[in-house]
Amino acid sequence: MFNAIIKGLMLVLLGSVPCFAADDAMNPERAKYHYQMFCQGCHTPDGAGANAIPPLKNFMGYFLRSQRGREFMVRVPGSALSTLDDAELAEVLNWSIDNFAGVSLPAAGYTPYTAKEVAVLRTQPLQEIENHRASVLAEIAAQESQGAES
Amino acid sequence: MMSFIDRLLEQRARSAAQQAPRRGMLKALGGVLVGASTLPLLPVARAAGPEAASRPQESGSDTDCDYWRYCAIDGFLCSCCGGSANTCPPGTEMSPVTWIGTCHNPADGRNYVISYNDCCGKPGCGACLCQRDEGDRPPYRPDKTNDINWCLGTSSAAYHCSAAVVVGVAFEE
Repeated sequence: MFNAIIKGLMLVLLGSVPCFAADDAMNPERAKYHYQMFCQGCHTPDGAGANAIPPLKNFMGYFLRSQRGREFMVRVPGSALSTLDDAELAEVLNWSIDNFAGVSLPAAGYTPYTAKEVAVLRTQPLQEIENHRASVLAEIAAQESQGAES
Repeated sequence: MMSFIDRLLEQRARSAAQQAPRRGMLKALGGVLVGASTLPLLPVARAAGPEAASRPQESGSDTDCDYWRYCAIDGFLCSCCGGSANTCPPGTEMSPVTWIGTCHNPADGRNYVISYNDCCGKPGCGACLCQRDEGDRPPYRPDKTNDINWCLGTSSAAYHCSAAVVVGVAFEE
């Protein structure tokens, strides 16, 4: 009986460990190449953006502070409608976060995107971006200031 | 003893003076001075960055439309307009917003990621129009079309010419 309980507990523990499918393993060279081919043209080599092109650098991590923000980065047309497959898109998003989010990254880090998560989210590309982005950021700012007060 | 050393030194000095060209040092020094003065000192925009520095082995002339980096270009070659494949002509500004493709380098057999940076701020250069369009897509794929004016991140939207900067090596599966 005791052994059965231990076995059960181990199964529960193993099940709770985040695990990634083999196709979710990061290949930095491939990710960088996909960033160059599909993102860099507008977001620039260091993610700083230019004029109306929003920055990734020291900024994209803010979107990871809410579920809507997390979804936003997949649902923007550049991500959702790109010719990258789900695993490649998840990989380039994670690579971009690792390389550009900088000070905007949540202190606790983040859960990497998976191909499975991206596959679902990109079926709903955003039709209107600017207002949606502003409302996501306002929501995150309100949430952060509430957290600071409490 | 001292007179012997004096004579020896005098002989050696005369011998050296007879064998070496007298204007040799002046000539060498002049060459260095003139060479240094011909280094490009003009403030031209460059595609800076650590990767821009690592250039592949190349062949061909960057003023020819069939130069390998121009496989997807559509515009006036900056190398015919006072700039180069990497730099904008003086008086123009390189757009940070670009369209990006890959080209095969016949010199080493590898594929490279090429950034087509437009140089902006002056009217069209008019020299060396080159249109090759490999990998070009229609404007409904705006990030992969060379038919639009890419002077998007610059203070002026006036198109002058296009540069073709190597930004990396293409990833091969």
